Amino acid sequence: MSAAVLELQRITKRYPGVVALDGVDFTVYENEILGLVGENGAGKSTLMKILIGLIQPDQGTYRLRGAPVVIKNPAHAANLGVGMVFQEGCLVPNLSIMENLFLCHEIGFRHFGFLSKRKMRDAAHAALGTVKVAADLDTPVSETTPAVRQMIEIARLLWLSKLYQQRNPVLILDEPTTVLTDDERNTLFSIATELKSQASIILISHRLQEIVETSDRILIMKDGKRVANIQARHAGIPEIEQMMVGHAFAADRFREDEQIPPGDQVTLTLENVSKRGVFEPLNFEVRQGEIISLVGLVGSGKEALCRCIAGLEKPDTGSIKLAGKRLTPGSPSEAVRAGIGHIPIDRRSDGLALGMTIAENVNLLVLDHLKVGGFISPQREKKNALRWIQDCRIKAPSPSTMCVNLSGGNQQKTVIAKWLSSKIHLLVLDHPTRGVDVGAKDEIYRLIRQLARTGVGMIIMCDTLEEDIGLCGRMLIMKDGQLVNEVNCPPYRKPSPSDIISSIV
Amino acid sequence: MTAPDSGSATITQEKATVGHKRLQIPAIYFALTLLVVLVILFTLGNQNFLSAYNLNTIGNYAAILSVVALGQMNTILIGGIDLSVGGLMSFTSVLFVVLLQLIGVWAFPICILVALAVGYVNGAILTRIKIPSFIATLGTGGILTSLALLVSPLPVVAPGSKYGLLDLVNGNLLGIPNLLLLALAAFVLFYVTLRFTKIGRNIYYVGSNIKMSWMSGIDIVGTRNFAFVLSGFGAGLAAIMLSCNQFGGDPTLGNVYILQSIAAVVVGGTALTGGTGGAVNTIIGALILAVMENGMNVVGVDAYFQQSILGLVIIISVALTFDRTKTAMIK
Repeated sequence: MSAAVLELQRITKRYPGVVALDGVDFTVYENEILGLVGENGAGKSTLMKILIGLIQPDQGTYRLRGAPVVIKNPAHAANLGVGMVFQEGCLVPNLSIMENLFLCHEIGFRHFGFLSKRKMRDAAHAALGTVKVAADLDTPVSETTPAVRQMIEIARLLWLSKLYQQRNPVLILDEPTTVLTDDERNTLFSIATELKSQASIILISHRLQEIVETSDRILIMKDGKRVANIQARHAGIPEIEQMMVGHAFAADRFREDEQIPPGDQVTLTLENVSKRGVFEPLNFEVRQGEIISLVGLVGSGKEALCRCIAGLEKPDTGSIKLAGKRLTPGSPSEAVRAGIGHIPIDRRSDGLALGMTIAENVNLLVLDHLKVGGFISPQREKKNALRWIQDCRIKAPSPSTMCVNLSGGNQQKTVIAKWLSSKIHLLVLDHPTRGVDVGAKDEIYRLIRQLARTGVGMIIMCDTLEEDIGLCGRMLIMKDGQLVNEVNCPPYRKPSPSDIISSIV
Repeated sequence: MTAPDSGSATITQEKATVGHKRLQIPAIYFALTLLVVLVILFTLGNQNFLSAYNLNTIGNYAAILSVVALGQMNTILIGGIDLSVGGLMSFTSVLFVVLLQLIGVWAFPICILVALAVGYVNGAILTRIKIPSFIATLGTGGILTSLALLVSPLPVVAPGSKYGLLDLVNGNLLGIPNLLLLALAAFVLFYVTLRFTKIGRNIYYVGSNIKMSWMSGIDIVGTRNFAFVLSGFGAGLAAIMLSCNQFGGDPTLGNVYILQSIAAVVVGGTALTGGTGGAVNTIIGALILAVMENGMNVVGVDAYFQQSILGLVIIISVALTFDRTKTAMIK
């Protein structure tokens, strides 16, 4: 085995109320592709943030090429040959490809005190050559595809490591394929495999298939700990999954035995609803107690569709009816009054008043029912909050605990409690289990089943395809703004992810 | 996976997390401590500080300041600010005295209505034209200052024949000055509105997270308008109280109240970033400012030095309450 280029030993990082990393050992060897997998909240991103100096560990040592280092910030990390390609990308959109490549390091191209464009061009061609990109150097980055942007970032990191004479740089690719097409994905992995001769690559992905196919070695994380370190050629996807979640999938993870058949009454009807340039006219219904999962890639239009249903966006055509009654498009207050709830993907910025108490958040929609003689009664308010705290198993010292002090899972349960306490008929759930731990996930699944039993129709978008399949009764697949397929997912006769993936991409 | 036992108690101490430490020490304790310390210091400095005469002086000023500040508080709670209170007070003051001459007792309700309308206009500029309240009210404040000077460029004295009406403010009820009773009534009104009514609660929701409020169906336009109407009400009422107290109107009397009202609100512990604070905080803040203003003179702090002490107290108060997570960049 080749030498270690990067070594983390017993890294611990604590956040208020949660240990994000618990004595993690992490080694990257020269010329390897290391697959890093784990559920959301397992600690992968915290670990990567430590690698590039975005955050500092509370305990543990960081060695680079044998020498202990303290990485001050991402720029420092890049100079030392450790760089990350972010999911969203971190290039300056209105600057050209070449300007982005050499941003902040133009000084080397000085010629009599001025920047020599010719020298820059030559260097840029060489840098892009390593990642096989043939693009016009003067194109603004905003006009390039996500795949090209990733390549520019990789090329930049490689060029920087050469500039600072760092042997075998470490490149972190964080979920690189979520924004790529199939072809682009294959190109990315073939380039990654070629780059192995001069660099090490850490690949983070939720798609275990590509992890197993591309990596040499796989690290599995769970709840802030490293639970396994296996050679990829010995790894099977089911075993990895089992280690990621800590229990076998055969168990009823999504509470399938509680799944009920949809009711007779139609809750939500969409007729010819469309939004220009985002999704084509589409029709579907959600029945009482039915859980519909919307599946599709980024750009499939599913997010915009959900925003239209919740009244956050105005569709261009068509009508949205709740229990046969047409809703005013583009009005969240109207949607809420009619009984449509919406659990946003970003609960901290969109779902909660963080500086206010659990009680104040839970009671937001039902203040009218908590009045005595025209004024909100503190007693009734507390009573109602306690009831829902208990029902949703929100773990907190008291109803007057501020939401900012809750863990992610308990914050999410507070958001759900808010909608549960009001009489909703339809709930849109946008990635309800994102960033919550396994225990809280199960609680959220339980609440979703409970809602279904009370007749609430749901439209759900999940973090993983498995979760979508496990939770929903019917799956609607969107692609390029169109409804391309519909798959039934009855309990115990669920389709497998591979059956579905072909219609998604 | 085993299902969690359903009967278990969920309110536990084990997850007592420490999040933002800053939010855990309510700023109101700082404000209360400051008030007590100031009173003790000034009393030690000059025993006459607690004399009936001096307490009356402090009370008069605190009463008027708290009414403006209670209104101002609502705009700060929603994450905005009202810089037009000064102009509005000046304008209401001269308008009130002029109207008093013309229509007598009707000057009271009409001036209040004018102030409410000005508040609504401020809110509408923010919510309809969508420019920040900082700029919107800077503009309307300027316009109102001009209007005040156009109504009367010089201070106007209230007509002697109407002094009886001024007793609505200057008189006593059971030995308690009406000025204090009016301030107390304003406090109760704002306290109850914020604590026990839906629109009051909505002010907190909108101030705490406007996007969440919008997505949860709260009428954010109405709530923000309402906050500015309340601010107009506070400024209008304070101007009437002050004009009665001084037996005349003054087209420049409001100027000092712009900063003083904001200072009272933030020193009391209401966060400039919105969403936290309340009427009790504001009363304490107004008392602190009134005590400082008077006390520094009573114990003989150099007049040139006084402003810097006030400035220091404001900076410390804001530092304690400002929610830095809400502003990506401090401008």
